[in-house]
Amino acid sequence: MDLTPSTREEMAAVLREASAAGRVVDIRGAGLHARRGRPFTADEVISTRGLTRLVDHVPDDMTITVEGGTTVQEVQGAAAAHRQGWPQAPAEPSATVGGVLAAAVSGRRRLRFGPIRDSLLEVVVATGDGRIVKGGGRTVKTVTGYDLPRLLTGSLGTLGVIVQATLRLWPLPMAETWFGATGDDAAMLDLGQQVIADLHRPTAIVASPGALHVCLTGVPDDVVAPPGMQPGGEPHGPVGAGLVQVGVPPVALPALARRLAADGQDYEAWLGTGICHVAVASAGEVAAVRDLAALHGGHAQVIDGDDPLRADPFGPPPPGADIMRRIKDAFDPAGILCPGRFAGAEAVPA
Amino acid sequence: MTTAATGLADRLRDLLGPDRVLEGDLARSLYSHDGSIVDGACGLVVLPETTEEVSACMRIAHAAGVEVTPRGSGTGLTGGAVPLGGGLVVSLARMRAMDEVDVANSCVWVQPGVLNLDVSTAVAHLGLHYAPDPSSQQACSIGGNVGTNAGGPHCLAYGVTVQHVMGVEMVRPDGEVVMLGGVAPDPPGYDLRGVVVGAEGTVGVVTRVLLRLTPLPPDVRTMLLDFTTVADASAVVQGVIAEGVIPAALEMMDRNMTLAVEEFVHAGLPTDAAALLLVEVDGTEAEVTTATAVVERVAREHGVRTVRVARDEDERALLWKARKTAFGAVARVKPSYYLHDCVVPRTKLVEIMEAIGEITEREGVMCLNVFHAGDGNLHPIIALDRSDPDETARAMRAGDQIVRACVAMGGTLSGEHGIGVEKREYMPLVFDHDDLEAQACVRRAFDPSGRMNPDKVLPTGTRCGEVGLADAQVPEGTWI
Repeated sequence: MDLTPSTREEMAAVLREASAAGRVVDIRGAGLHARRGRPFTADEVISTRGLTRLVDHVPDDMTITVEGGTTVQEVQGAAAAHRQGWPQAPAEPSATVGGVLAAAVSGRRRLRFGPIRDSLLEVVVATGDGRIVKGGGRTVKTVTGYDLPRLLTGSLGTLGVIVQATLRLWPLPMAETWFGATGDDAAMLDLGQQVIADLHRPTAIVASPGALHVCLTGVPDDVVAPPGMQPGGEPHGPVGAGLVQVGVPPVALPALARRLAADGQDYEAWLGTGICHVAVASAGEVAAVRDLAALHGGHAQVIDGDDPLRADPFGPPPPGADIMRRIKDAFDPAGILCPGRFAGAEAVPA
Repeated sequence: MTTAATGLADRLRDLLGPDRVLEGDLARSLYSHDGSIVDGACGLVVLPETTEEVSACMRIAHAAGVEVTPRGSGTGLTGGAVPLGGGLVVSLARMRAMDEVDVANSCVWVQPGVLNLDVSTAVAHLGLHYAPDPSSQQACSIGGNVGTNAGGPHCLAYGVTVQHVMGVEMVRPDGEVVMLGGVAPDPPGYDLRGVVVGAEGTVGVVTRVLLRLTPLPPDVRTMLLDFTTVADASAVVQGVIAEGVIPAALEMMDRNMTLAVEEFVHAGLPTDAAALLLVEVDGTEAEVTTATAVVERVAREHGVRTVRVARDEDERALLWKARKTAFGAVARVKPSYYLHDCVVPRTKLVEIMEAIGEITEREGVMCLNVFHAGDGNLHPIIALDRSDPDETARAMRAGDQIVRACVAMGGTLSGEHGIGVEKREYMPLVFDHDDLEAQACVRRAFDPSGRMNPDKVLPTGTRCGEVGLADAQVPEGTWI
């Protein structure tokens, strides 16, 4: 069987057959976000890389509809031809649209432009049992029915394969620049806090060990270096065997970052948003980071790492787990789509 | 009422006292309506004041197997808060407490009965506001806003309600209280918070809402532009955005609406214009200066007659009053109105406005238009006298054709009012059987008993199939 279907109907057929045969499947786009969630054993890996058509692009409506295997770079390229862009997307040109949506990967411009889920207008998925289901709508505003686009964003392939997405685009800004500064961790965090206090809607304020990066977007007069900073490039992100994403109340983030710095851990804190990515080397470090996150009123999930690092990728089961389970059952009745990926068997109280 | 229902009233009175359980004819009649023209049937009304009371009411309703319809201020325009089967209405109108503002995290917990405008008023001294601003914001409640995923003029740049709700506390159909989302972003698991917003009270009763507060812009400019044709005004909407400027708000009003509003508000609107655009740009001083120049240039390229820039806050408030009291001004034309809330792609504005003109002329009804042009969200208001059955029938026919025209142009049924009862039978125009069944399954995952605000949103007969509802597929001990 062809595991790289080239139409949504073929994708649905492959899933229908897998459901009938009880074969467990994993779904793969570019593979950049494949090491997420609890490890499970798949009988086969289905690729979305055969689904790469640009279905519809209406520059005047600032919407673009693409198949799930289209890359971020392809979307940005099509949009840029009309002086538009997808500012919520991560800086991962080779990632697929389906992949970043399924994993809910937001880009660093989140502080100004919001999370990735705000950019998804309409979604089409092939469910585990091979139905093709559409949710949302292609207009920039809609409250027509239940919000399947938000439900699918971050569902990690457990509800269906994203075969098509309609995204909201934004005008490219007249000016945008990354600025950088280096110094000791505390001084960099303080400088970041100062930028938040001084500027109206900064685009990104990223603190990492010994450095601060700030992105400003808008009209040229507003895109000037904050005091103590110079024009520079975008940060590179923390490096380690694994990566944990922490979410804490925004005000708690500098304190959390100070602790990480004191512990000598590599991190990237998106000031103002409460998001922090932390490099980890062992399951013990995952647990330690999770404890630290909880101490600061938040949570932590492993977003990259080999199997041992992902023994407990999410921590305690979230509120409404029974609701999630029923949704999963309805979209994937045979339980073939990445089963156990969201599981927290050991963590569920008896 | 049946004996069982009488027993229900007794149990609720034991819980809330006699004053907060309403079962008189007047109350039941009042609570059988909202801002729409839907006539419902209400059996009983409760007025809880705390989450615990809502939870206790829901446990009682659950035990009695009674249908429940949550209700905020009752300003909804699609019948979403109207009970149809004589069930229990849980009014959240008395739950009007606001927590202390969390300034450091720019958010605040409020109860659902808090009125939309009261939030912005309460936080203005902190340099913050609550961005979604439906025209009914003086009367509509945050709970209702959450139910319908409400919009408003400023949603063009700032986004709709779901983008400003960080978390909700919800009482589930069986009375259990669950907290979804919160101050810490991106919690693990499916985004149930995102589903609750816009679910029109069909998945539970929201009892507390964590609202994101947005800094007030340092500078703002409000302009009124007038045109001799709708096509010119529409071209400006398109042109401004094509230039890379997303105004904070971009509203259009046609001549019929302008006449009605001017008589009412006396804002000095040019009543001979075919279309007015109310444009607001905000941001830093440099952003506002640049955006204003773009708006004025594009407007002149398309034959604008006058550009009126609000000189001060009073004039700005007057222009917005003209916009936001538009629905009320219709009362000067006819005693009632019937409106749709469809959305079309922005590129179809001229086409749809022509179609609406043709449809309403053919049916011999008067249509007034005031809408969020920037995001293509129409509000064609058909003025009518409901005591005239023939006119009412023609208004309904015109409305039906308008909806179909919008969908045919690539649009959708609702931008911000929701589906409720009025639009549910149109759902198959935009969704096929599998799409609707999937939505029914999501709803059922929240409410297996099917008692939460039944007969809303989804068309009659839509069911979550027999597939996979038994909870048996996912092994015990896993959470998804």
